[in-house]
Amino acid sequence: MKETDRIQIVYRGESAYPARLTEIRRPPEQLYYMGNLKMLENCCAAVVGSRTTTVYGRNTGKAIASRLAERGVTVVSGMAAGIDSCAHNGALAVGGNTAAVLGCGVDICYPPENDGLKKELERKGLVLSEYDPGVRAERYSFPERNRIISGLCDITVVVQARNRSGALITAELAAEQGREVLAVPGNIDSQYNLGSNKLIREGATPLISIDDVLEPLGLRKASREQARQKLSDTEYEIFCLLQERGELGIDQLCCHTGKEPAYVNPIISVMEMKGFIFTEMGKVFLANA
Amino acid sequence: MLTKVKTATLSGVKGYPVTVETDVHRGMPGFNIVGLADTTIREATQRIKPAIMNCGFRFPDEKVTVNLVPAAKPKEGSHFDLPIALGIMMLGENIREAEDTAFLGEVSLDGSVNPVRGVLPLALALRNAGIKNIVLPAGNAGEASILEDVNILPSEHIRDAFKHVSGEKRIEKYRRREDPVRESAACTDFAQVIGQESVKRAIVIGAAGNHGMLMMGSPGCGKTMMARCIPGILPELTYEEKLEITGIYSVAGLLSEEQPVVRRRPFRSPHHTITQAGLIGGGRKPRPGELSLAHRGVLFLDELGEFDARVIDAMRQPVEEGIIRINRDLEEVVFPSRVMVVIAANPCKCGNLWDERKLCTCTQKQIDSHRRKLMGPFGDRIDMHVKVNPVDREKLTDTKREGNREDTASMRRKVVAARAVQEDRYRGLGYSCNGELDEKGLKEYCSPDAEGRGMMIAAYDNLNLSMRGYNKILKIARTIADLEGAECIGQRHIAEALMFRIDSDMH
Repeated sequence: MKETDRIQIVYRGESAYPARLTEIRRPPEQLYYMGNLKMLENCCAAVVGSRTTTVYGRNTGKAIASRLAERGVTVVSGMAAGIDSCAHNGALAVGGNTAAVLGCGVDICYPPENDGLKKELERKGLVLSEYDPGVRAERYSFPERNRIISGLCDITVVVQARNRSGALITAELAAEQGREVLAVPGNIDSQYNLGSNKLIREGATPLISIDDVLEPLGLRKASREQARQKLSDTEYEIFCLLQERGELGIDQLCCHTGKEPAYVNPIISVMEMKGFIFTEMGKVFLANA
Repeated sequence: MLTKVKTATLSGVKGYPVTVETDVHRGMPGFNIVGLADTTIREATQRIKPAIMNCGFRFPDEKVTVNLVPAAKPKEGSHFDLPIALGIMMLGENIREAEDTAFLGEVSLDGSVNPVRGVLPLALALRNAGIKNIVLPAGNAGEASILEDVNILPSEHIRDAFKHVSGEKRIEKYRRREDPVRESAACTDFAQVIGQESVKRAIVIGAAGNHGMLMMGSPGCGKTMMARCIPGILPELTYEEKLEITGIYSVAGLLSEEQPVVRRRPFRSPHHTITQAGLIGGGRKPRPGELSLAHRGVLFLDELGEFDARVIDAMRQPVEEGIIRINRDLEEVVFPSRVMVVIAANPCKCGNLWDERKLCTCTQKQIDSHRRKLMGPFGDRIDMHVKVNPVDREKLTDTKREGNREDTASMRRKVVAARAVQEDRYRGLGYSCNGELDEKGLKEYCSPDAEGRGMMIAAYDNLNLSMRGYNKILKIARTIADLEGAECIGQRHIAEALMFRIDSDMH
C-alpha cells in the first residue's frame, strides 16, 4: 500500500469534523489524517512544551500524558522533539489515545528522528494536518498548527517552556479560544522553566500534582464503568448509592442496602483499598481516583 | 495469762488473718498494743476500756499487752476493736481461745458494734484460713453473707459477742434474705438506641474481645448513652467475680444495706477533674480508685481530652497489666484493674469539626493537640476507633423505617459465645481475651490464612497502617472470627477489623 493511500480527509461541515474545532477562529477547511479520527470525540488535552528540555520536564510530561490517557483522555501534541514526543510516548505507554497535529503534510516526518514514533502514531493513534500531503514545514506553519492543537482540546497543559517557546503560543491561543490553560511550575533559577513559570504569573493554573490535571476535566472521581469492572455487585451497589447521595454513614448504607453492619463493614474496607472510596469523620465518601 | 482471738487485716483489697494475743501481767496498770498497729488501732485503748466498763465488765487493773501476730505486717482499721475487747473480756472468764471463730468490728463507748469497711475481703481471708464462724457487725452481715461456706454471726453489741464466746447464748446465723432481682433496674437496653447499628456492632466486637474502644463523634450523638449500655452485654458475673468486686466495693466503703453485694458488672464514669489518686487509687492508706472500682466492668472516660494528661498516663500500666501496685514504705498494695476501657471524645476541642451544620472554631493547632492527647501513651491500650455520627432526625421520629434493631439480649448472646471460644483457647495460658494478647500470643493465635495475609499486606500498603496498628487489626480480626465461630482469621474478618483502625493522622 502506498503512503498516500492511507491518508484520509475530512472537510469542515462534515459530521466527522472535530466539533471543538468549529468553535475557534479560522478553523481549518480540511484535515488530512492517518489513524483513528474518532478519538477526538473523547475528552482531549493538549500536552505541549519546549523542544529543549530537562529530565524533570520529560518525566513530568510523560507522567501527565500517561495519567490522562489512563483515564480515557486523548492526549494531543505536536510530535516535535522534547516534551511533545514525551507526551505521545507517555500516552502510548499505557495504551491510551494520542493525536499528533503536524506543521507539514501528514506524509512527512518532521523531525526525521521521530520516524518510529510517527509510525506508531499512525497505527495506534492519529496523525493529522491541515496542509496538503507533501507540504514541507515552514517557520510560520508551526504557530499556525498550534491553533489546531489548542482548538481540539478542552485543556492545554504546558509542561516546560523556555522564554520564547512555541508552547507559549499554544497557551495563548488556548486562552483566546476560552480553553483552560495549566502550567507545570519549575525551578525559578532554570532557563528551561522561564516560559511556563511566566504563564503561571499571567494566570495559568499551576499544576501542583499530576492528579491535578484531571480536575478541570471533571475526572477525579471514578466512573461507573470503571466501578462496574472492578467492583463486585454489592460493592457496585454501594458505589452507586454514594454517587447518588454523596457522603453516607455506615448506618445509612446498611439501611439502604438492607444489610447488617457486620456485612457492610468488610466491604467498605475492601473498596477503600481498591481506591474507590475513603472514610473520614465516620462517613464514607467517593474517592478521587 | 494469755488469750488468743482471730481476726484479719487489709492490705489493699486483700485480707490477711491476724491473731490478737492478749496478755495480762502483774505490774503498773497500763494498756499497750504492739505489732505495727496504726493510729486507729492504738486509739482502741481509749475506746475499749470505757466500752468494757460501761457494759459492766471488769477491766484488769494490771499491765495489759496486746500483740498482733504476725508482728511485722502493718495493720490498720477500727475493726480490731472487737477482737481486742473480747481478748480482754475473755481473760476474766479464763477462756483462752474461741475455736473456729473470728471477730471483726468497731466498738463504741457504750459497747455497741459499728459497721466497718472491707468486711468481705477480711472474711474471705479468714474463710481461706479455715475459720468456720465469723462474728461481725450486724450492718456488714449482708455483704459477708455472699460467702457460702462460712457462718456469719451478726453482733450488735460486745455483750452478744462475749455471750457467744462464753457459750451463754450463741448468736444465730445470719440468713440472707433473697433480694428480688430487679433486672429492669440494670442499665439502659441497647434497643433504646436508635439508628446506631454500626456502632452497636463495634461495641459487640469490643466487648467480646475486651478491646479498648475510642468512640469519636460530635457532642450529643449518643456516645455516653451507648457506653452506659455496655455492662449489660458483658457476660453475667460468676460467683468468684462477684466476690472479688464486692470485696473492692467493701474496702472502698461503697456497699449499703440496700446493695450489700455487687451483682452486676460495674460501670464507672469518673469526672475529668479526677486526680491520679482518685483514678488509680492511693492515699496514705491506699484505697481503690475508679480503675479498681470498674474492675471486671467498664471504665468510661467521657471527653478524654479534658482529663489531666498525667492522670491518663498513669493509667497505662494498670490497664495493661490488670493490676495496680502502690508502694508504701512497708508494703506493696495491689489492686485489681481488669477493665474494658471505653473512651468518648469529640473530634476537636469545640466538638463541631464533623458537624457541617455548625461552625468549628478550633485552629488546626488546637485540633492537632486534641488528637495528640487522645493518642498519648495511653492510646496504646485502645485497639478500636469507632466513629459515631448523629442520627438523622427523621429516623428518630419515624420508628417504622428502621429495620431490625439489636437489643441488649441478642448482643449479649454474641458476646458470651465469643468469650466462651476465647476461654477455651486460652485456658491455662494467662490470657482471657483477645484484647490482652501480647506479641507472643499474637503470633501464636492471630495468624490469618493466606487470603487474609494478602489483605493485611494490601492494607499495610494502601491504608498507611503502622506496625502497631497492624497488630491491633489482627487482634480485632481474631475477635470477629470468634464471634462468627471461625477457626481461622479470614479476609472478611480482617476487612471488617480495618474499619476500626486508628487513622494515621492521629499519631
